[in-house]
Amino acid sequence: MRARLRIGAIATAAAAALIMTGCTATADSGSGSGSSDEKVELTYWAWAPNLDKVVDIWNKANPNIQVTVAKQDGGDPAITKLLTAIKAGSGAPDLIQAEYQKIPTLVSADAIADIAGDGAKDLSSTFPDGVWNSVTLGSDAVYAIPQDTGPMMFFYRDDIFQQLGVSVPTTWDEYADAARKIHTADPTKFLGTFSANDAGWFTGLSQQAGASWWSIDGDAWGVDIDAEPTQKVAEYWGGLVEEGVIDNKPMYTPEWNAGLNDGSQVGWTGAVWGPGVLSGNAADTAGKWKAAPLPNWDASSPSNGNWGGSSTAVTTQSKHAAAAVEFATWLNTDPAAVQALVTETGIYPAATDAAASALTEAPAFFSNQPDFYDVAAEAAQSVGDFTYGPNVNVAFSAYNDEFAKAAESKQASAFLEAVTAMQKITLDDMKASGFTVK
Amino acid sequence: MTATVERSVKQRRASQRPAALSPAKRKAARKRAVVPYMMLLPGIVLFVVFMAAPIVYTLYLSFQKTVVKGLGLGSGARSQVFAGLDNYIASLTDPAFAASVGRVLLYGLILIPTMLVLALLFALLLDSRRTRARGFSRVSIFLPYAVPAVISSLLWGFLYLPGVSPFYWIFDQLGWDVPSMLSPGLVMFAIANIALWGGVGFNMIVMYTSLKAVPSEIYEAATIDGASEVQIALRIKIPIIAPALVMTALFSMIATLQVFAEPMTLRPLTNSLSTTWSPLMFVYRDAFIRDDVYTASATSILIALATFAISFFFLRVVQRRAFGQED
Amino acid sequence: MTATTNMPAVNPGASGSGSGSGAGLPSTTDAPRLPSLSRRSSSAPAARRAKAPMSIGTTLVLLIGALYCLTPVLWVVIASTKDGSELFSTFTFLPSSHLWDNIVELTQYRGGLYWRWMVNTALYAGVGAILSTYVSMLSGYALAKFTFPGKSGVFKVLLMGVLVPGVILAIPQYFMLAQVGMTNTYWAVLLPQIISPYGIYLARIYAAAAVPTEIIESGRTEGASELFILHRLAMPMMLPGLVTVFLFQFVAIWNNFMLPYIMLGDDKLFPITVGLSGLLNQGSTVPALYTLVITGALLSIIPLIALFLVLQRYWRVDLAAGAVKA
Repeated sequence: MRARLRIGAIATAAAAALIMTGCTATADSGSGSGSSDEKVELTYWAWAPNLDKVVDIWNKANPNIQVTVAKQDGGDPAITKLLTAIKAGSGAPDLIQAEYQKIPTLVSADAIADIAGDGAKDLSSTFPDGVWNSVTLGSDAVYAIPQDTGPMMFFYRDDIFQQLGVSVPTTWDEYADAARKIHTADPTKFLGTFSANDAGWFTGLSQQAGASWWSIDGDAWGVDIDAEPTQKVAEYWGGLVEEGVIDNKPMYTPEWNAGLNDGSQVGWTGAVWGPGVLSGNAADTAGKWKAAPLPNWDASSPSNGNWGGSSTAVTTQSKHAAAAVEFATWLNTDPAAVQALVTETGIYPAATDAAASALTEAPAFFSNQPDFYDVAAEAAQSVGDFTYGPNVNVAFSAYNDEFAKAAESKQASAFLEAVTAMQKITLDDMKASGFTVK
Repeated sequence: MTATVERSVKQRRASQRPAALSPAKRKAARKRAVVPYMMLLPGIVLFVVFMAAPIVYTLYLSFQKTVVKGLGLGSGARSQVFAGLDNYIASLTDPAFAASVGRVLLYGLILIPTMLVLALLFALLLDSRRTRARGFSRVSIFLPYAVPAVISSLLWGFLYLPGVSPFYWIFDQLGWDVPSMLSPGLVMFAIANIALWGGVGFNMIVMYTSLKAVPSEIYEAATIDGASEVQIALRIKIPIIAPALVMTALFSMIATLQVFAEPMTLRPLTNSLSTTWSPLMFVYRDAFIRDDVYTASATSILIALATFAISFFFLRVVQRRAFGQED
Repeated sequence: MTATTNMPAVNPGASGSGSGSGAGLPSTTDAPRLPSLSRRSSSAPAARRAKAPMSIGTTLVLLIGALYCLTPVLWVVIASTKDGSELFSTFTFLPSSHLWDNIVELTQYRGGLYWRWMVNTALYAGVGAILSTYVSMLSGYALAKFTFPGKSGVFKVLLMGVLVPGVILAIPQYFMLAQVGMTNTYWAVLLPQIISPYGIYLARIYAAAAVPTEIIESGRTEGASELFILHRLAMPMMLPGLVTVFLFQFVAIWNNFMLPYIMLGDDKLFPITVGLSGLLNQGSTVPALYTLVITGALLSIIPLIALFLVLQRYWRVDLAAGAVKA
C-alpha cells in the first residue's frame, strides 16, 4: 500500500517541511501487549448515541487502557473514512463500529484485523451461531466482536387498527389484506411504504424469505440476488405498490415523519431498535403503537431477517490489538457493560445471556406493551442465515437506483426487473475487480 | 506558514537596508529582482502542495487499478496494477456517466439563462432611480449566498415535500392537484431553483456594482437626448457591463458542471434522483460507495478537462461576437 | 482566460474606483483615472435621489424577488420555534414557542458540541480567509507591480486552478496529508484552503487598479523597503479589494463540505456544515434530529449575515467584473 503512494509522498515532502514545525503526529509506538505499567490510548470510531458514557465506565476502571470515542455520522460515513485511511496508510482508529454487512468489504480491503489469536476465539458460545458466523465469515478467523442485532419487527398504530377493525397480520397475505382494508377505509392512510432508499430494510425482508445474496463455495463467490426468495419479496411489494395500497415514498424523510405523526402511516416494518426512531420522530404518538413479530410467508414455520446490527472491529493500523480486543470483549459481553449499552444507547445486545438479564423493562415509548422484549426475543430466535459479499455497497447503491425507478413506475414487473438489474450490476462489479466468481 | 513569511521578511529587511543606504543603484536593482519571487513564494508553494500535486496524483491514480485474487479476503489478496486507459474507457462507456452529463447540460440550459436574466433584471431595478426599498431588497436577495448548499437544500426539501410543504397545503385547500416538485419530471427544476436561490443575489451584486461604477453623466446625456429608462438600460447599461455578464456566465457554467451538494442532499427524499444524477455524484459514487478511487480519478480528470474546454470555447465565442459588433 | 485580453467592452469606472477610498493619499496619484469615479460617488447620487418619482412596477418586481429569497429564511425562523412533533404536525408557517427550548437543547447536545462547531467554523473560515487574503495579496501585488521573467507563465498556471473543482482535490489531498499524519487535525482543513487562485486573480486586479506605480517608485526613492511599501502604502489602498477577497474566501471555506467531511474523523473538529449534516443523516437506526439541525442552521446563518452587513460597504466586486478584460 505504501509503495503505491510514493508519488504522493514525494509531493508531500514539501508540505511536510513547511508544516512540521507547527504540528507533530502522535506516534508513540509501544508494543501495547498489556504490560501493566504501560499506558495505552485507543481511539474508537462509533456512531451509537451516548456510547461515550459506556466507555467512561471502562476508562474509570482501566487507567492503563484509555479509550476515546470519536462519534461518527453513521455506519456508511464511518466505513468510507476508514477505507480511505487504510488506503492512505495512516489515520485509522484502533477500533471501529462496523455493521455486519460491511465486514466482508473491510476484510477484503485489509482494513480490520483477524483477532482470533487475541482471545476473541473463546467468545463463540457467547453469541447466537448466525451472528457469530457473520463476524468469522465461516472461517477460522475472527474479524469483530458482535455488539447488537436488529431482528425485524412489525410496528402498528393499535388505536387506528381497533378503530378500523383490522386485526394484526401474522402472514404477508394478511398484511396485504390489512393494507387494502386500511387504504380503502381512508385513502390518505397506508399500512406501510416501500422504501427504495433503505437497502438494509429490503435485505432483511429477503433474508426472511430465505435469501442469501452471496455465497462462498471453496475459492469462489456466488451471487444469488436474482433468485426465488428475493423475486418473491420484490413481486409481493411491487404488487401492493401497483395496487396503490402501499405507499412508494422513501422512509426517513420529513414527509414520512409527518405521516408517523398524523397517522397516515399506520404501520412500519422496522426492527428491534424501532422504538428509538419512533420516539425521536413522533414523540406525541407514544402509547399508541404496538409491536408484533414480522408477518410470515408460512405461518407454520416462522422465519425472520435482520435490519441493522453492528460489531466492534480492530483495525489493521492499530498498534495495540491486544488491548483493543480486551476492551471490545468487555464492552460487548460484560454484564455491566451490556446493561449500560441498553440503557445509554438503546441497542439490542447480541450477547445472549447478558441481553436476557439486561432487557427486562420495555422501552419508554412502548410502556403500554410490557412484553416488548419477549416479542423481540421471539423475533430474534427465528433469524435465518445470510452471507454478505465484499461489494455490498455496490449492490446497495444498485438497489437505490433500480428500485427507485421501479417504485416510481408503480409496476410489479418493474420490481422484478430491478432484482435482475441488481444481480447483474453486483456480479459484473465482482468480475471486473477480479474476484473468482462461480 | 507564517514562519516562512517572517523569515523571508527578515532576510529581505536585512538585505534591503544596506542597499537603501548605498548609492549603488545597480546593486539595489539586482536585489529588487528577487522581491517578486519572494512575494510569490508562499502562494506558489501552497499551490504546488495543495493543488498541483493532488492533480498530478489524481492523474497517476487514474492510470491504476486494483486486482483481486480468489475470494479477495485477508491481506495480500489485492494488488495495484497499471491500468492503461481502462478507467477512462470505463467511465466514458458507462451509460450512467453519459446520462449524468446530459442531465447537467439540460440543467445548465434551464438554470444559467434564468439566473443571469433575473440577476440582470434585479441589478437594473436596483440601479433605477425610481425603485424604492432598494437597500432592503438588495440585502434580502443577496442573503441566500450566505447559506451553505447543504443547509439550503434541507430548507427547500421541506418546502418541496407535499406532506410538509405550506405551498402544497395551499394547493390542497384550493383543490388543485399539483405534482410533487420532487417527481421525476420536475426534480431538475427543483434543484435548479435551489441553485438559483443561492446564486442570483451574488450575480446581481456583481452586476450592480459594475453599474454603479459607470459615470452618471453618460445616463444624464442620454436622458437629455430623450431616451427612456428602458432604452438606457438596453442600449447603454447592458453593453457597458458586458464584462461582468461574461464573468458571471463563466462562473455560473463552472458551478453548473460541478453541481453536487443540492442533488446529494435531496436524494434521500425522493425516488427521482439516482446516485449518479450529476457527474460529480458519479465520481462520489465510484470513490466512496464503490471504493474505486481509480475510476473516480479518471472521471475527475475528464470533468476538469471538459471544464477547461468549455470555459475556453465560451470565451472564444464571446470574444468573436464582441469583435463582430465592433467591426 | 487569456482570450479575454482583447475584450473590447470597457468598464470605465472600474479601473480606478478602488483608489478613491484608499489611505487618503496625495492627489499626485494616477490622475487620469480618478475623476470619473469621484464625481459619481460624491455629488451625483444625492442629486438623483431627490428627483426621481417612485415606480410601483419596478419596486414591486424587486420586492417579489426579495420575498422569493426570504421565504425559506422565514421558514427556518418559524420552524426553529417548534418542537419535534409540531414540526411535522402543525401548519408550516404557524410559529410556536419553543425557540428557547430548542436553543437550550442544542446547547446541551453532547456537552455543547454545537458551539464548538461554531468556534471551529470561525477558525477555519475566519483564520483561513485572513491567511488566504494575505497570501493572495502578496502574490497578486507581485504579479501586478513587478516585471520579472516567468510572470505570465506563473499567472496562467495559477489561473487554471480556478477551474479545478474542490471536490476532486479532496481525496488526493487526504492521501497526501495522511503521509505526514496530519489528517483529522485542524491543519488538514485549514492549510489546503489558504491557496485560492481566484483570490490571487482578484488581488492582482485590485493591485493593478488601486496602487499607482508612482507611489511605489517614490517609496523606493525614499529608501523604504519593498515590504514596507507593500504593507504601509499599497495595502491600505488595496483594502476594499482585500475585503472582497476575504469575503469570497470566507464563504468558499464556509461552504466547502467535502474537504472537512473527508479529512476529519473526530466530530469535535467539525465545522458547522459537516456537523449539522451528520445530525441529519445518522443511519436508519437513529432518528434525524430535525429540530436541532433547523435551530442550528438558523443560529449559524446569523453571524454570517452580520459579517456581510458590516463588510458590504467595502464589497468591490465591480473590479472583479471589470477584471475579465485585464
